[in-house]
Amino acid sequence: MNVERLEFLVGEEKGLREILLDSDVMPLLKGVLAAGAGGARLVDQEGVELWGAALPEGRGELLDRFPLFLEGEEVARLELHGDQEQRERLHPVGRLLTVALDTVIRNNLKRILTTEIHTSVVNSSQEELMRINAELAQSEARYRELAGNLELRVKERTAELKRAQAHLLQQEKMAGIGQLAAGVAHEINNPLGFIISNLHTLQKYVSRFCAMLQFYRDHLDLDLPVKVLSAEADQKWRELKLQQVVGDVGDLMSQSLAGAERVSRIVADLKGFSHVDDAGDMPVDLNEELERTLGVLSHTLAGRAEIVKDLQPLPSISCQPQLPGQIFLNLIQNALTHAGAAPRITLSSCFDGERIRFSIADNGKGVPASLRGQIFEPFFTTLPVGSGTGMGLTVVWEAVLKLQGSIAVADAPGGGAEFMITIPVGKG
Amino acid sequence: MIEYSEKERRMVLKLVYYGPALSGKTTNLLQLHEQLTRQGRGELMVLDTTGDRTIYFDLLPFFLTAPSGLKIKVKVYTVPGQVCHDATRKAVLQRADGIAFIADSKPAEAQNNFASFDNLERNLLVVGLDIDAVPLVIQFNKRDLPDAIPEEELRRAWGPTGIPVMMASALHGEGVAETFRTLAGLVYDRIDARFDLSSGHGLTRDMFVRQLSSLHGGEEE
Repeated sequence: MNVERLEFLVGEEKGLREILLDSDVMPLLKGVLAAGAGGARLVDQEGVELWGAALPEGRGELLDRFPLFLEGEEVARLELHGDQEQRERLHPVGRLLTVALDTVIRNNLKRILTTEIHTSVVNSSQEELMRINAELAQSEARYRELAGNLELRVKERTAELKRAQAHLLQQEKMAGIGQLAAGVAHEINNPLGFIISNLHTLQKYVSRFCAMLQFYRDHLDLDLPVKVLSAEADQKWRELKLQQVVGDVGDLMSQSLAGAERVSRIVADLKGFSHVDDAGDMPVDLNEELERTLGVLSHTLAGRAEIVKDLQPLPSISCQPQLPGQIFLNLIQNALTHAGAAPRITLSSCFDGERIRFSIADNGKGVPASLRGQIFEPFFTTLPVGSGTGMGLTVVWEAVLKLQGSIAVADAPGGGAEFMITIPVGKG
Repeated sequence: MIEYSEKERRMVLKLVYYGPALSGKTTNLLQLHEQLTRQGRGELMVLDTTGDRTIYFDLLPFFLTAPSGLKIKVKVYTVPGQVCHDATRKAVLQRADGIAFIADSKPAEAQNNFASFDNLERNLLVVGLDIDAVPLVIQFNKRDLPDAIPEEELRRAWGPTGIPVMMASALHGEGVAETFRTLAGLVYDRIDARFDLSSGHGLTRDMFVRQLSSLHGGEEE
């Protein structure tokens, strides 16, 4: 910023011309003329006239000289001209004029010095203000920058949190699938166990059949009488306990087949539940998905929880087919976790012409009204640290949101919690 | 230096009497004016504008002429000591050739002395003067006070700075001329080489100091 300003140096030397004005000097010089002098002038040390006044008819002879001082230094002199006869009379007039000029010089100098100092002070005060102003502008700019950065930082942190949350949601889904896989493994292991055991037994039985067949082949060559052969064969048959074996084989075979069919059915259920083969949106019947979820949870539920179903026919909706499974799986697992010693889970669905409504209720302690705003938030859990991730209901919330639906929690009739899901049915 | 003109054979120097409020700076100038001969010094100008105390200082000019004809004018200023007049102090301090720091010997003023000296150091920096190079003397004034801080103590405190410390009682005219002479000598030392005062103008240190501070009744009269 370029501010035009007056520069003074306190104490800078000044000439008489800078200190005295024409209007200060001329009236005094003219006054001397009026008093009878022919001329009066101020000349500097080099004899150059600074100011002068003279009568039109000529100033006459130089009569007198008076030195003039500035800051104690002789800087000029007053010269009086006129007739020699007037010399005596004009001397006091000259003295008087010198005193007057001296006073004017002194007062003007004081005024100028005052102005100098004042200007310096004002300038430095202004500089100070300018500096403060600049500093303020600078700090304002810094705060602006900080504020701008802050917004950016908040955005970054938010994105980071979102990523972390998405990651956790994915983990929760994986954890759910892990639990499911453990249950399913158990479910498959059971039939596999007895199938393998049956196969071992059948292997032993087959070797006995082979031994029996070998006996007949060996004895046919000997050409023994039929009676003898028959008796020896009977004995061998008894030795190999083939009577029981024949009776057992049929059961073993049918049992093993039934087991294999069970495994096959479980795998089919699982595939249906996870929709591993399906990509993109497709028509989904939510009742079917619920049944499928109950199917994969059957080992967990069997003998442990009472399931009450009241499912009305529903129109199919178009969605990613794995979403309903995530909703039902997490809500049923949640109900099982929070229901008491004898869990009863009531599942119902209905369609009012526009919306599908699902209700999953348990007979646990219910959700206190004060917590209802929080239970769908990530990491919120009432379970001890390490027992729950606090993500189960968040997964449900996300999935319901993807179905353009909503979820709410209320007290179930007769106690416990009731989760109500409303899903709009599209034009399709 | 305010002015130096080779052509006009003229040099104008500026000395500043600095120090805390009411330490006796103006009294020093009044005494100098009183003690020094009329020849060689000008009139004391006291600028004391009532109503605006920010503008307040004294000026006493001195004159001397070197054998070469070089005219030297020394303008001695005082500055207001009050803390609030810092801008005036800075303005007067510009281009100073020497500084007499007038301190108060009253024990109660010790803190103010230090604060004012600190202010001087800061302002010298602001106006672009080097505290280590600028001629500087310290005068402890009011030695006549019964409770004045003992001289040994003052010398112990200020001696290590290497700055000449003078004792004075300005009100009684004691130590005033000595302080001025000491400062004048230091100023001469500082400018001699640069302006060929002794070699070019035939002006020795002794002549410079004596001409500036010839007392009434001295041989210069």
